[in-house]
Amino acid sequence: MLLDVRDLRVEFRTRDGISRAVNGVSCTVDAGETLAVLGESGSGKSVTAQAVMGILDMPPGRITGGEILFRGRDLLRMKEEERRRLRGAGMAMIFQDALSALNPVLSVGDQLGELFVVHRGMSRKAARAKAVDLMERVRIPGAAQRVRDYPHQFSGGMRQRIMIAMALALEPALVIADEPTTALDVTVQAQVMDLLAELRREYRMGLVLITHDLGVVADVADRIAVMYAGRIVESAPVRDIYKAPAHPYTRGLLDSIPRLDLKGRELYAIKGLPPNLSRIPPGCSFHPRCPMARDVCRTDVPPLYEVSGDRGSACHFWRECLDGGEQ
Amino acid sequence: MPEQPYEPEGAIAGTGMGGAMDLGASEATTLERAPGGPPGAGPAGKPRSLWSDAWRDLRRNPVFLLSALVILFLVFVSLWPSAIASGSPLGCDLAKSQDGPGPGAPFGYDGQGCNVYTRTVYGARTSVTVGVLATLGVAVLGSVLGGLAGYFGGWWDALLSRVTDIFFAIPVVLGGLVLLSVVTSNTVWPVIGFMVLLGWPQISRIARGSVITARQHDYVQAARALGASDSRILLRHIAPNAVAPVIVVATIALGTYISLEATLSYLGVGLKPPSVSWGIDISAASPYIRNAPHALLWPSGALAVTVLAFIMLGDAVRDALDPRLR
Repeated sequence: MLLDVRDLRVEFRTRDGISRAVNGVSCTVDAGETLAVLGESGSGKSVTAQAVMGILDMPPGRITGGEILFRGRDLLRMKEEERRRLRGAGMAMIFQDALSALNPVLSVGDQLGELFVVHRGMSRKAARAKAVDLMERVRIPGAAQRVRDYPHQFSGGMRQRIMIAMALALEPALVIADEPTTALDVTVQAQVMDLLAELRREYRMGLVLITHDLGVVADVADRIAVMYAGRIVESAPVRDIYKAPAHPYTRGLLDSIPRLDLKGRELYAIKGLPPNLSRIPPGCSFHPRCPMARDVCRTDVPPLYEVSGDRGSACHFWRECLDGGEQ
Repeated sequence: MPEQPYEPEGAIAGTGMGGAMDLGASEATTLERAPGGPPGAGPAGKPRSLWSDAWRDLRRNPVFLLSALVILFLVFVSLWPSAIASGSPLGCDLAKSQDGPGPGAPFGYDGQGCNVYTRTVYGARTSVTVGVLATLGVAVLGSVLGGLAGYFGGWWDALLSRVTDIFFAIPVVLGGLVLLSVVTSNTVWPVIGFMVLLGWPQISRIARGSVITARQHDYVQAARALGASDSRILLRHIAPNAVAPVIVVATIALGTYISLEATLSYLGVGLKPPSVSWGIDISAASPYIRNAPHALLWPSGALAVTVLAFIMLGDAVRDALDPRLR
C-alpha cells in the first residue's frame, strides 16, 4: 500500500468557532492506481490533500487525529526535515492554477531546475539541461529556447504542462493533482488529462485526482471517493459508481451532469447548499438536502457500510439507493 | 559665534570618505536593479516582468529623469567636490564676512567669511552619506526583522509588532535631542545610528505586510510541496516578490533622512562644526538673515532640491511598480 490515510481529522480555528474541514477521512492508494476524490467546493478535498502533503497552514489549521501512512510510515510522526525531503522526491502535488502556482519572477527553467538543485545537489548547468529534458517530455515545443521564458509567456495549457513536469521531475511514487484542469479550456483539458494519464502509466505512480468534474474522472480514474462535509460518503470502483451509486449525494452529482439526451429539460441540481463547516448538521451531514432522508438520518451518523468487497457507502439506506431510491 | 580653530580639510574628508564610497556603490546597484530585473532576464525588452515593465515606465517619466539627473549630480559632487569647487570649505577669512558674490565665490561669503559656494558643495557629501547609509541600514534591518515576522508569524511577530508600536510613539526630533545630546563623537555615525534605530519599524511594517501577502501565493505553497526549505522559499520565492514596496518606501524615506540630518545639525545635536553640513550652515546663517540672506538661501535651497529629488524619485518608482496604475 502506497498511501493509507486513516481517520484523518483537520480543524481550522476561525472567528466563527472551530471549522471542521476533515472529519475522519480514510482512503488508500496503491502504486499505479488512480483515485479520484470528488466533491463540491468546501467538502474538504483540498484540505485533505494539503494535510497529506504537509503544506497545511498551521495555524490556523490543526490536524486533530488520524494517521497518514506513506509506504507504511506515519507522516504525521515524521520529523519536519525528513518530511521536507520526501516532498517533491517521494510525493508531489499539481496545483489548480499554474499561473499562480509558478513564481512570476523566475524563469520556468530556473523553477524546474531548482528541484534538482534542492534534492539532487546538481549544478545549475546540469539542472538547466534537466529542465529542458522535462519540458520536452511534457511536449512543450521549442523547449530549449523556451526554458528561459517566464510563466506568463506561456499559454494556460503549456503552463499546466510545466506544472506537471515540475511535479513529476523526480519521479515521485505519489502525485496529488488538485483540480489540474479546472482553469483550462475544455479542449486543452483533454490534452492535459491525457498527458497526465500517460505519464502516470509510464512512471507507475499512484495518482490522487481531486476534482468536481465527473466527466474527467470516468476516463482516467480506477476508483472514486466522494466527499461531503469533510467525510468520504462513498468509495467505489469507477464502473460501479456510474452504474448505480450507493449514496444519494453521489446520485445527485451524477444527475446534475448535463446530458445530450435530456436536452431542453431543466438540469437537475442538488437542493440547498453544502453545510457550514463550523455547524455541521447532526446525524448524517447530508440529511437536510437528501431526498431520501428519514428520522434516523437526523440523529445517527451513518458509518461507512460495506456495500461489497471494495465498495463502501455512508448512507443508512444504501440498499434502496442502489436499487434506484425514491425520487 | 567664537572663532573656531579651523583644521585643514583632511579631518572632515576622513569622516565622510568611507561613506561617500559606499554611497557610490549602493546607488549603482539600486539603479541597476530596475532595468535588469530578476537575474537572467535576457535581452532587454523581451521578457515582461514587473521590473522590466517598471523600467520601461520610468524611462519615459520626466519626473523620474529629472530627479535621477539631480541625484546623479549630487552623487558626483559628493564623491568629487573638488571637481567643481576650489579651495577648502574651512578656509575662511573673517575679513570677507557677509560679503556678496565675488571671484571664486559665486554665492558670496557667510558670517565667518567662508565661501558659501564651497561649503554648499562640500555639504552635499554629508547629506548624501547620511541619507544613503541610514536608508541602507533601515532597509536591511527593517526587511530582515519584518520579513521574518511576516513569514514565521507566531510570538516573534506579536512581539515585533508591539516593539514597532513603541518606536512609532517616540517623537523623532525629541528623541534625537535626548539621545544625540549625550554623544561626543563628531562624525556621521551617531546620526546614522539614531536614524536606523528610529527608522527600522517603518520598513519592518511594510516588509512584514508584503511578505504576508507574498507567502499566501500558490507558488509559495507549490515550492513547499516540492520540498523547498524555509530559507530557500524566503530568499528565492518571497523576497523578489515582496521587495518592491520596501524599495519605494526606502527611496522616499531617504529624502526625509537628509532633512532630518539637517534638522538635527541645525539644533546642534547632529553634526557640529568643524564638520560641514547644510544644517550647520543654515543654523549659522539664520541670525544674519537680514544682512546676508545669501548665506542662508544657498544651503537651504540645496537641501530643499535634494530632498525633493529623492521624494520625487520615490514617487516615480512607486507609480512604476504599482501595476494598478498602469
